[in-house]
Amino acid sequence: MQPIQMRAVSLNTSSLSYKIRKQLRYGDKPWSGLLIGMAGLVVLLMFAIGLLIWNGSAEARLQAGLAFILPTLDASWNPITENYQAWPFIYGTLATSISALAIALPISLGIAVFLSELCPEWLRQPLGWMVELLAAIPSVIYGLWGIYIFLPQIVAPLGSLMSEVFGSLPALGLLFSGSIPESGQSRLAAALILSIMITPTIAAVTRDVLLAISSSQREAAFALGSTQWETIWQVLLPYGLSGILGAVILGLGRALGETMAVTMVIGNSIEGSASLLRPGYTMSSVIANEFAEAYNAMHTSALIYVSVILFILSVLINILARLMVWRVARQTPQEARA
Amino acid sequence: MHHSKTTVLALVLLASVLLAACAPAAQPVEIIKTVQVEVTKMVQGTPQVEVQVITATPEMKPTDLPAGSVTINGAGATFPLPVYTEWNYAFQYVDPAVVINYQGIGSGGGKKGIIDRTIDYAGSDSLLKDEEYEKGGDLQMLPILAGAVVPIYNIEGVTKTLTLDANTLAGIYSGAIKNWNDEAIQALNPELAAQLPDKAITAVHRSDGSGTTEIFTKFLAAANEAWKAAPGAGSAIEWPVDKAGNGIGGKGNQGVAVNVLNTKNSIGYVELSYALANKIAFAQMVNASGQPVKADADSLASAIADFSSAFTDKLTTDIVNGSGAGSWPIAGYTYIILHMNSMEDCLKAQKVVEYLKWALTDPAAAGRAADLGYTVLPSAVQEKVLAKLAEVTCNGQPVLTK
Repeated sequence: MQPIQMRAVSLNTSSLSYKIRKQLRYGDKPWSGLLIGMAGLVVLLMFAIGLLIWNGSAEARLQAGLAFILPTLDASWNPITENYQAWPFIYGTLATSISALAIALPISLGIAVFLSELCPEWLRQPLGWMVELLAAIPSVIYGLWGIYIFLPQIVAPLGSLMSEVFGSLPALGLLFSGSIPESGQSRLAAALILSIMITPTIAAVTRDVLLAISSSQREAAFALGSTQWETIWQVLLPYGLSGILGAVILGLGRALGETMAVTMVIGNSIEGSASLLRPGYTMSSVIANEFAEAYNAMHTSALIYVSVILFILSVLINILARLMVWRVARQTPQEARA
Repeated sequence: MHHSKTTVLALVLLASVLLAACAPAAQPVEIIKTVQVEVTKMVQGTPQVEVQVITATPEMKPTDLPAGSVTINGAGATFPLPVYTEWNYAFQYVDPAVVINYQGIGSGGGKKGIIDRTIDYAGSDSLLKDEEYEKGGDLQMLPILAGAVVPIYNIEGVTKTLTLDANTLAGIYSGAIKNWNDEAIQALNPELAAQLPDKAITAVHRSDGSGTTEIFTKFLAAANEAWKAAPGAGSAIEWPVDKAGNGIGGKGNQGVAVNVLNTKNSIGYVELSYALANKIAFAQMVNASGQPVKADADSLASAIADFSSAFTDKLTTDIVNGSGAGSWPIAGYTYIILHMNSMEDCLKAQKVVEYLKWALTDPAAAGRAADLGYTVLPSAVQEKVLAKLAEVTCNGQPVLTK
């Protein structure tokens, strides 16, 4: 073994570079201070945004008050007579997001279960990447594809079929009354496109949750004689429920805020009906469409009031969902928690 | 040693920053008027070289300022965007010292920008309100061009041009007229009556605030009493056809056009230049004097002439529903907004005013605008605008010296 060569290094303790390097040796304190500062900055930013939009909406809140938000059958949004009710937008956002989730959830669960349990090993990675690639497509491209291909060829015929089949049912019929416009622009179209957009998010997180469940659970289930389907449905999914709920929150959050794709396919029309087959309007669409050229200060204030409602709605849904996740997580062992 | 590496790196960075900062100033560009180009042509199988002389047109004029040294920023309406883009490009040849940028961000953005002084001039189709005049101080609207808004349609089986009038358009957009084969529409189109289908009309309107909507609704309010009372006129209104269940909103001219093209049995409204460029069928209108007119340069010129003495002291006027026999009823001026006395950079002020004067008086500029479907001002109006331009001052001195 070679002798280790040592060199004497002269240390000039009064030089500036030595003093600087000495301070940086206490690396942990300044570093953790920096990270805490960044985390605090994020929270501060959220409060700053909330404060800014609260102040900006003051004029509209004073004039319209709660009547702005309450459900009404005869809502109007009239910048000239300054008569504003945001219920159609609130309904549009909720209807499209919840429908999108209802469509996307079974599909995403199916994709995740397939990728983690049933998929042959050679297919797992490529298929996983392709699903995640869907999330990388910009939303304006979804909108364009929607207008030119998806809506006329798929949504419009589907809508006519749905109105024939479900339109005459007693309660459900309200959601499917009326006929879908020829171009296919409707809340249904927005819900379908949103469901395509949130599927990769929910599927990817759910797949990771299922893969993180240790194989001892599966082996124990098989040892007790359960089939693969029973294992998945009765052991794995309940085990990973808190993680799946976390994935659902992520998807719902994206659906609530999605603007561009929805604006292009929803028809941007305030109509009195609750039907999914008719054109509608969402909160993010009305802000995106009207903010740049708002008619006057009151119109701007009303639009900022709509953004306050969207902000509060998103925060509330997230808090609610997070509470659900915690409740479920208390019954779930560590590795499957979100 | 460790520190010498860091010191060397720091010295290299410092040296590169200093070199970049001390780079020589841009030299004035020599203006080349003619260029000789060798072109190889095949004549009966053998290549032959031909020398072609290409002359820069329009004629480039020399200037005593370095090329590109004055940058002027404008923003605003998208209505005249195609023309302004052409004019900005052509003006580089007229005065190479000036570079003009115009961004089509919408009339509202233009108005905000000129009030906040983030831009040098604004383009707008919608008029400034009183409080905006107060906030801006010394803003002046100058009419530059007039354009037409046309109703576009997509009806199954209809091959000839549709004719509409104010009452039918108001009826369609208020939801009163529901189907294409309604008697009112049939009465205006006797030879198409058999082709008009018994299908619901989908009325497409703008979902964003816009000058086009303002012109369209001002026309409906001027020509139809019921419309004036109910939705009224404005850049963003509440469309009764939405409540009736047959309305769709599209974002921008493009959104309206795409919706009309993709929806059978629909109608919409866009600027004429847009309908021409995209070859969309647009309707004739029966104007206030009862004549059916097509939207083109002549009918626009007639509309302008109907209101040539109707200018307010702010040099603004609506030109909808003109009474002339050949007037296109849905027309509007597009304006440039300037600060009259308080521009800070006097050289920029001079160049902006020279640009506007060139745009208003140069025949090539007028030709370019006409090619794109707009109409330039008649001489009476042009004189008023030029007189206003002569009143622009900077630091107390009038800006236009020539």
